[in-house]
Amino acid sequence: MNKSSNLKIGLLLAAVLAVSAWQGQRIQHLRESEMFFRWIIGESARARMFADTQTLEQENDGPKMMDSELLQRVSDAAQDHLRDVSVPDDVTDKEKGTLSKLVLVAASESQEKTIWDLVCSDVLAAEREDFLKYSREKKLSSVASVFDTEAVYTEGGASVNIGNIFLGFRKIAANFVWLQVDKYWHEGLLFRMVPLMKTCVMLDPTFVDAYLMGAWHLAYNIPVQMDETPEPLKKYYPQYKARLGDKELYYYVAADFLKDGIRKNPRNYKLYFDLGYTIYNLKLKDYANSVKYLSEAIRNKHDKWVPRMLYIAMELNGQFEEAQKGWEKYLENEPENATAKRFIIRNRGRIEDRKADEALSKVADAATPEEAQAARERAYALQKEAVKVWEEMGGPDGEDDPYAAARIMRLKAKRMLQQERYVEAVAILEHARFTSSEFFEEASGMIIEAKQKADIPLSLSEKLAIARREEAARYLEESKAQAEAEAKMQQEANTQK
Amino acid sequence: MSAASSFFRGSWTIAVYTWREGMRKKTLIGFLILSILTIFGSTFLTAFLSQTTVGDAQVDMELKLVKDICVTAISIFGILITIFISASVVPNEVENKVVYTILSKPVRRFQYLFGKFLGVQLIVIINLVLMGGLFFVQLYLKQHVLPTLLLWSILLTYFEFLIVSAFTFAISCSAASAVLPTIAGLFIYFTGNLTEYLKDVTARAGQTENALDVLIGKIANALYLILPNLQNFSLKSSILYLQPNDPPRDVQIPNLIIYALFYALSGYVLSYWIFRRKEL
Repeated sequence: MNKSSNLKIGLLLAAVLAVSAWQGQRIQHLRESEMFFRWIIGESARARMFADTQTLEQENDGPKMMDSELLQRVSDAAQDHLRDVSVPDDVTDKEKGTLSKLVLVAASESQEKTIWDLVCSDVLAAEREDFLKYSREKKLSSVASVFDTEAVYTEGGASVNIGNIFLGFRKIAANFVWLQVDKYWHEGLLFRMVPLMKTCVMLDPTFVDAYLMGAWHLAYNIPVQMDETPEPLKKYYPQYKARLGDKELYYYVAADFLKDGIRKNPRNYKLYFDLGYTIYNLKLKDYANSVKYLSEAIRNKHDKWVPRMLYIAMELNGQFEEAQKGWEKYLENEPENATAKRFIIRNRGRIEDRKADEALSKVADAATPEEAQAARERAYALQKEAVKVWEEMGGPDGEDDPYAAARIMRLKAKRMLQQERYVEAVAILEHARFTSSEFFEEASGMIIEAKQKADIPLSLSEKLAIARREEAARYLEESKAQAEAEAKMQQEANTQK
Repeated sequence: MSAASSFFRGSWTIAVYTWREGMRKKTLIGFLILSILTIFGSTFLTAFLSQTTVGDAQVDMELKLVKDICVTAISIFGILITIFISASVVPNEVENKVVYTILSKPVRRFQYLFGKFLGVQLIVIINLVLMGGLFFVQLYLKQHVLPTLLLWSILLTYFEFLIVSAFTFAISCSAASAVLPTIAGLFIYFTGNLTEYLKDVTARAGQTENALDVLIGKIANALYLILPNLQNFSLKSSILYLQPNDPPRDVQIPNLIIYALFYALSGYVLSYWIFRRKEL
């Protein structure tokens, strides 16, 4: 009797353990699905954002990364199931032509449920298995960090999942590593911070503030203590298509650090914002990329000031119409916002300026004096329209707004340059560039151009600026040719192998 | 119906008695005070952070530090409280011979154990509520939004403790003193967190095609399937980083609760199996 009841309880225990193990398998399936889901979202963000950028893992000699190939397979498998799913409204025709439906759908947070259902279903079962296999074999770049991808990808021997070492307290370990980074920052040991920042985000890839502050240190605090690199000492980096010295390289390393953060936290607007604004806009003056990343920032949940930075970047990138529309939309939500009102006029002024400039450039192309006269009159009429807009912004002659005043002076200078009154044009531009700091660079360029046309002696700083520009262009040309030759040789060597 | 109510009434009386006894233990009060001090002190740790930062990153960084320290403090002190109390309730009663008095009354062993187990859970829950409550208030004061996600996190923490508690309790039923079950409880917690490693072993075994390697891989896989995996509950800390007040979209929570309940049942059946064979 006792034996039989022991057996019964033993069987009951075995049954309950079996059910527990079965439930454990279900949870395992969910956890793996979640990992796969997050990878799809992150990888789709990469395909949308960084497809044209060569990432560090591609340049290293480690094992081949399977991210792109696997995403392509997942996209193909999901294609039929996503046929009736709508893509976000702000997707461009170019994106529709080049990117898969899955990548476009993943751009919208509201479609996450669709992708989650797909991930949990059998539709992507084979791809899921491969994802897990590649993760184990470290063939997915999402497991690595940007500083030393090779070390992560190619480490041999028995590696233990880093999470296990800390018994689930990885996040707290990452915090204490960050406190050490902060300590080094106070002590001025900036170069010691870099490997610790890598450790920090490896321990906790969702530590978004570590990415943000790390990129800030890399792009601002470290380079500020370094001298500008002379052109001959710079090195060509094919992945960035630029010649960079030690100092300038830090800006790109900061951008890569943020891109790594984006792949791991694709829904966090702060990472896109910092990449678009603090790195591409302020540091690299690459306004096209700035617009690209800020546009992605506003696709996700964001603070209300983020669109403002996007519209400013659009203006700097010459997208005046888009910027104006954006500000108008912004004004609808905040009718009393004075900045929005000012920027709407400012972009209108830039549109009018552009029209006048285009009309003015047609004067030189005219075949007959009559045609030239007609083109000139048209250009002057357009210039008047532009002046009206700038006066709307800054009062008569733009007295109340330095930027409007500088733009009006620019229009006058343009007219004089067209009339070959170079000395007067240069004088006006000299005044204009010190009226508004935003106009300084453009005005300086116009002054040099005018002086060269009229054979007016250049100042020392202008001569230096030209020499620097020419030297940089020459070196860049040489480096590009050299890089192309090296790539060709490498390709030939690979073919022979 | 009356048999069932009598069973639960009896168990409840034992549970309340266990809870009263447990709350008098100085070790537990010590752990509780330490945990509360750590949770309270986490704010001061943020003073080590640089004040020179960009935008609102300073506030976010402080908040993250507080969240991580508090979750860790609750996990560490909570698990210590869970292990100590689960390991000691039965051996202490056997040692004090109180168990003989109880079992001589019309109380079945199953009922007695159920009451004891329930009492342990009451102590764990009350400690967790105290620690979680302080953490809740602190987070609210820092971010001025009710941290509702924290409640989910605390709930998951409890179910993680439930698994460790059930198996420690089972081992304590076979022990004469609380020392061995306490060590075993700590071992269960560590191995429960290292179960994922068995998956790595399984994946790596067999790469050499050596028969011993293949066998090790199979054993590792079997153990991986059977042993509770406490890393599954790591959601308790990541859930805190969803948007404030967002409902947890994760479908894992109900599944994790069911998972913990099954393992707790396993632990309880095991404890009964051991206890019923005990000569008392």
